[in-house]
Amino acid sequence: MRDYVPTNAASSGVRLDKKTFKAIAQRSNLQGLQYLSLWSLVLILTGAMVLLLRDTFWLVPALVLHGTFLTVPAYSMSHETAHGTAFRTRWLNELVFWLTSVVYMEEPLHRRYTHTNHHTHTWHVGKDSQMPFDTPMRFGGWLIEVSGIGLLIFHMSVFVRLCTGRYSETMLMVTPAQELPKMTRNAWLILLVYIVVAGSPFFGVWWPMLLIVLPRLLGAPVMLLFTLIQHVELQENSPSIVESTRSFKGNWLSSFLYMNMNNHVEHHLYPQVPFHALPKLASKLEDQLPDRDPGFWRTNWEVLAVVTKRSLGLKTKAPSIRQAPHMVTHGGPIEKIAKKTM
Amino acid sequence: MTAWIDVCSTTDIDDDDLIAWSHGEHQLAIYNTSKGFFATALMCTHEAESLEYGLVMDCVIECPLHGGRFDICSGKALSAPVFKDLQTYPVKVEHGRIFVSLD
Repeated sequence: MRDYVPTNAASSGVRLDKKTFKAIAQRSNLQGLQYLSLWSLVLILTGAMVLLLRDTFWLVPALVLHGTFLTVPAYSMSHETAHGTAFRTRWLNELVFWLTSVVYMEEPLHRRYTHTNHHTHTWHVGKDSQMPFDTPMRFGGWLIEVSGIGLLIFHMSVFVRLCTGRYSETMLMVTPAQELPKMTRNAWLILLVYIVVAGSPFFGVWWPMLLIVLPRLLGAPVMLLFTLIQHVELQENSPSIVESTRSFKGNWLSSFLYMNMNNHVEHHLYPQVPFHALPKLASKLEDQLPDRDPGFWRTNWEVLAVVTKRSLGLKTKAPSIRQAPHMVTHGGPIEKIAKKTM
Repeated sequence: MTAWIDVCSTTDIDDDDLIAWSHGEHQLAIYNTSKGFFATALMCTHEAESLEYGLVMDCVIECPLHGGRFDICSGKALSAPVFKDLQTYPVKVEHGRIFVSLD
């Protein structure tokens, strides 16, 4: 028998009848393939823009635009396929999981197992293997997180550990032992791909640099602004997803880039529900959940203001986003609660 | 001689779904799949989560907690993190009733 209570709908006191849940959670290939088609089309357009503008001043904005449309959906699709919910057909799900995880720069099985653990122990200090920053967050932590430097260093350290077989305590904690040799093999294969891509300019081939490497790095901040607001300023060590996790308002663009994960409370309550059904799930649960926070920009702006004030020793009450009680102070020193695990 | 226990009506389980059923100390999952009715142990062999809220897809049951998958017909563990097979139980259908053997 297990000695923990997983963080999900049951631990949060949220209810949904079984028939409704199963109807919403049905898998389909159609929506996943539609998403892939649209994403591919957008990437062809933004990629063409990069190539057309490569000798002009407009190259940098074009790289940022292409990077945003490459990096954020790659993260989102890698996440969705890690759950196995993007497609009904398993091999298709796994194929896309591999490809998008390579773009996201994380060995796929490491991504899956650390993320599964994140769902089982959401925002629990010492147990959740995907706490990407110390809490409560300060400005320095925000900068390292949003710049992408923190995640890049973490991903590189994971590759080094997997390739050399020096598995971390977290890896050993969250991964079935039978999977570790596969992860080492995968890490070597993916590293080989990265070496080929990084070395391509030395052979006069620049398109991987222009269409993949630079956009991936420049697109990271937008991706990380999305992931930052999933749990920041909320309650650590709570059995309730409602207290530890944030949903925020979305529009057509953020819903596309983030694959509806602005419904993040709902996703954590019922992780088996596919991305395309999250708005429907949200409508079924809205009576049981708090109002969602404002949209992407407003929520991020308030988070930035709070973490800056915290670093300056000022009051940290945000105007409208949800905060755990201990995150709201009248200034002065504040006790660290969580040390980052990634 | 096999002892068959009456479980429920065939109409009590939706298509591509399961119900949890207990008898004494036994906890079973009874499935209605495109290949017929089947019975397995109810609890996932990974971390003892009930499969009741798991999804049934093409004769595969997926555990709701960590996504481990089992073949419903054979109980075989299909994908990590599950490696130990589920116990299966014989099932027969007579006159619209589902019977299971715990022998």
